Amino acid sequence: MKKFFNIYFTCIKTAMARALAYRLNFVLSMLIALGWNALFPLVTILIYGAGASFPGWDFYEVLLIQSVFLLSTGFAFMAFNGVLWSTMHHIREGSFEIVLLKPISPIFFMIAANFDPECVGMIVGGTVLFTIAIVHTGVASVMAVGQFLILFTAGFAVMAGINMLMAATSFKWVGNSRIPEIFDSMMEFGKYPATIFPKPLQGIAAFVFPVSMIGFFPAQALLGDLEMYMIISIIPCILFMLFGIFMYKHMIKLYEGVGG
Amino acid sequence: MQIINVKNLTKTYITHKRGSGFKETIRSFFKREKVIVNAVNNVSFTVEEGSITGILGPNGAGKSTTIKMLCGTLFPTSGEITAMEFRPYADRKRYVGEIGAVFGQRSQLVWDIPPIDSFNMNRAIYGISQADYKSRLDELAELFEIKEVMHKPTRVLSLGERMKCEFIMAMLHKPKIVFLDEPTIGLDVIAKAKIREFIQKINATGTTFILTTHDLEDVKQLADHVIIINHGVKVFDDTLQNLQLNLGEKKIVELTLEEPFNNSVLDDSVRVIEQKSPLELVLEVDVSKTTIGDFIERLSKKLSISDISVKELPMEEIITQIYEEEKTED
Repeated sequence: MKKFFNIYFTCIKTAMARALAYRLNFVLSMLIALGWNALFPLVTILIYGAGASFPGWDFYEVLLIQSVFLLSTGFAFMAFNGVLWSTMHHIREGSFEIVLLKPISPIFFMIAANFDPECVGMIVGGTVLFTIAIVHTGVASVMAVGQFLILFTAGFAVMAGINMLMAATSFKWVGNSRIPEIFDSMMEFGKYPATIFPKPLQGIAAFVFPVSMIGFFPAQALLGDLEMYMIISIIPCILFMLFGIFMYKHMIKLYEGVGG
Repeated sequence: MQIINVKNLTKTYITHKRGSGFKETIRSFFKREKVIVNAVNNVSFTVEEGSITGILGPNGAGKSTTIKMLCGTLFPTSGEITAMEFRPYADRKRYVGEIGAVFGQRSQLVWDIPPIDSFNMNRAIYGISQADYKSRLDELAELFEIKEVMHKPTRVLSLGERMKCEFIMAMLHKPKIVFLDEPTIGLDVIAKAKIREFIQKINATGTTFILTTHDLEDVKQLADHVIIINHGVKVFDDTLQNLQLNLGEKKIVELTLEEPFNNSVLDDSVRVIEQKSPLELVLEVDVSKTTIGDFIERLSKKLSISDISVKELPMEEIITQIYEEEKTED
């Protein structure tokens, strides 16, 4: 275990050095991420500013869901997003052998080596929005915080699964830069209160492609409105992550079989 | 003692044929024709511990596919590889910890940061202790004379400097076998000489090297065992001495003359292999019968030369000669 932490932190330091090699690019990327996140709840602001609303939800409750979504995606992008782009690059260039030459798990190496510190901007933006929202909504109880952390971790697992699946598809669809857009569109459902969607869609977002766990369910825990099905949906989240890892490993095997 | 044993190694790919031209492009968008490629076909050989084996062959011969299978990064379609006590493709994680690899056209270095940071990353990945890492790095950096270079960003280094750093990256964990895929490709004469000198020095400590190349000079200066692959098939597997015995010592001389060529320079040590025009021709010189120096001296006395270059026998020519030798023996 110590060896894995050592590898992970050494790779993170290398990734930091790589990101900081171009200082202006790093600062600009952070600022753009921050600015983009300030606009993240724009639709919600416009709806509520016009006097309309999502039925049964006040502005700060919706903002809480969206800030949790932003935090979850921020942490996940920092940890996993580089895996997709790096995998795509290696497959297109035919250089994935370099990854396979390392005496560690290729998935672990790709995650560690492609840590993306530029996502700090997203996390800072998410934290600011989260603080604003939580000041207005309050927290239901101490237990609610515990439930939030568990569900947030499950949401992180979903994000891990999504990133692994995206990266896995790039082994087959070489050079398909539209893959993230497909997944981004599907993730959109996670940043609004699920109750505004039809029941079948709610079911899909909870149990099939569990994007509700990225923002909605953890926010519900903080608000003290957790329901049993939300806790049960932790299982599909873990299965989703395992499926993503399985698919990535399977694709590596195919690469080992057909590359060259 | 054998360190690698390869039996009936075969690798088959399925690729898709894409047509050229508008009509073919549209057709292949809807229906692609499958093409089966036999990249490596029933190849067997062994490698002795502590040796330098050169795998020679023209572009697309199957050298890189063979070396990737030996590295454990590609599954063979059929056949067996045993390296040390491992089956590379089945025991990849443990096996690659015992080998090093330099792919001349694929970098292990992180492009935007100094090589020293990439070395440090490999230190953690291979679990090398700080003390071992420091002494090994000092030793290798001294050998390659890159103590200053390794602190500059990789992107600003010359190809030769980068290649030296690639070698260090592959050698830090003291691998027992080192695979080199075209290690001198694109390098100038001085950088090539330095890389060859390094390989010889490390080999003297007992490390086994296997290198693929289409540069005959690499093999002549380094290898004691030569394997030649053409179209995925092994056409030669013997010592360097026997290869030279088979081929004779031949060089290619390309000439541009100021006046039309006449046959007065030809004798049993020289033959014309191509005449592009009365002023441009390619000669083959048997240097076991005359030295290149003597030949050029003789040439300059009889002909007025505008340009001259001396080259090794092209790989295609070597393979053709080997095939002809085999036919004669049959």
